[in-house]
Amino acid sequence: MRISVRRTGGFAGIERYGEVDTAGRPDDGEWRALARQAVAAGRGAPPAGVPDGFAYRITVDDETVYCADPHLTGEQRELISRVLKEGA
Amino acid sequence: MTTHGGFEPVFCTVVPPHILDRLARNDDPALSGPAHRTLVRDSELRGRRRVTTEFALAPAPAAKAPSDQPLRTIYDAGHGTALPGTEVRREGGEPGRDATVNRAYAGLGATFDLFLKAYGRHSIDGDGLPLDATVHYDEDYNNAFWNGEQMVFGDGDGEIFLDFTLPIDVIGHELTHGVTQYTANLTYYGQPGALNESMSDVFGSLIKQYSLGQTAAEADWLIGAGLLAERVTGVALRSMKEPGSAYDDDVLGKDPQPATMDDYVRTGRDNGGVHINSGIPNHAFYLAATQLGGHAWERAGQIWYDVLTGGELRPQALFADFAGLTVKAARARYGDGGDEHEAVRKAWEQVGVRTL
Ligand SMILES: [Zn+2]
Repeated sequence: MRISVRRTGGFAGIERYGEVDTAGRPDDGEWRALARQAVAAGRGAPPAGVPDGFAYRITVDDETVYCADPHLTGEQRELISRVLKEGA
Repeated sequence: MTTHGGFEPVFCTVVPPHILDRLARNDDPALSGPAHRTLVRDSELRGRRRVTTEFALAPAPAAKAPSDQPLRTIYDAGHGTALPGTEVRREGGEPGRDATVNRAYAGLGATFDLFLKAYGRHSIDGDGLPLDATVHYDEDYNNAFWNGEQMVFGDGDGEIFLDFTLPIDVIGHELTHGVTQYTANLTYYGQPGALNESMSDVFGSLIKQYSLGQTAAEADWLIGAGLLAERVTGVALRSMKEPGSAYDDDVLGKDPQPATMDDYVRTGRDNGGVHINSGIPNHAFYLAATQLGGHAWERAGQIWYDVLTGGELRPQALFADFAGLTVKAARARYGDGGDEHEAVRKAWEQVGVRTL
């Protein structure tokens, strides 16, 4: 499973991108479950967000959803943080 | 929802009522007094919000004059993401050990001061809105934002960004998003979004200049000076004096801000480049303010404030609309052909924005 996260906006307006391929990883199952939940709670189009809030685009294989601070689910927050950390 | 500028209205109480109830019954008046007042204030606020929501067409009730003192409350998210978090300092409370809390408290006060003393505005909504801020949001959180109701500050990751309460102009920037929301309510996308961002940079910088007593010539005109960690090559996040020059770093990249319309950036990212193209109106303000000299919040700031709050600036305004209104405001307040009128007109000309 290929998971990518693009973060835009924020006070600094500096973009960040991360990508992780979970195939063959021992924690593949864990990633899949997390990604499924994060995507299920996402939106088809970028939500309005708040001034200076981060906006996120999450792509899991060929499905893309959007979400924005501060209205993230716990799973979205977890997935975003892991992908941006590990896949930067 | 006219009063919330398109954001989701949240009818939350600032501190869980059961905790306030307990505090209000406490034997120590230092605890029970404020808690009781907050309970009363919260129920008033909730009542007022409901009224605004349900009877939006009803005339505003005659309210008592707002106070000349701010009503600040600082909360600690404890590195979690639940807002507002635990109350750690309220108006009049002594400074504590947490420098972040103290800086947020002081920054809210400095912002309240500028708007009141320079422009006669009582808080963010012009009607004494309590100022709430949450610090220590999330872990290693490289951001600060205004959520439509309050400010939220991260601690930074220490690698790229430090604590977002460090620069007073960042605090002023966030609060000014609140002022914009309650006034022109500029749409946060494309050119109106860049104007919204620029308003926050302009007044954020003015709050710093006002608190330091600086003239336009003395000011650094930087946004976020002191926010970048030591290893980052850069002085700040944005420069109003020289947009595009704030940082040039192997991790952060280069400051992408243009100073003039020739370098306007077309992009769908960052809400259509709101933090990028804000460099253009930012630079126009810098040019007008330095041309006029003296304290930038007095004449240049007054003109910008007049336009922001004057009722003619539409939510979808473009740079040229805004520029035209500042020229008109300069003429209206300081006279046709006066220094102010000329300085403002010339500033927009220099950044390539036509004023009709
Ligand atoms: Zn902003």
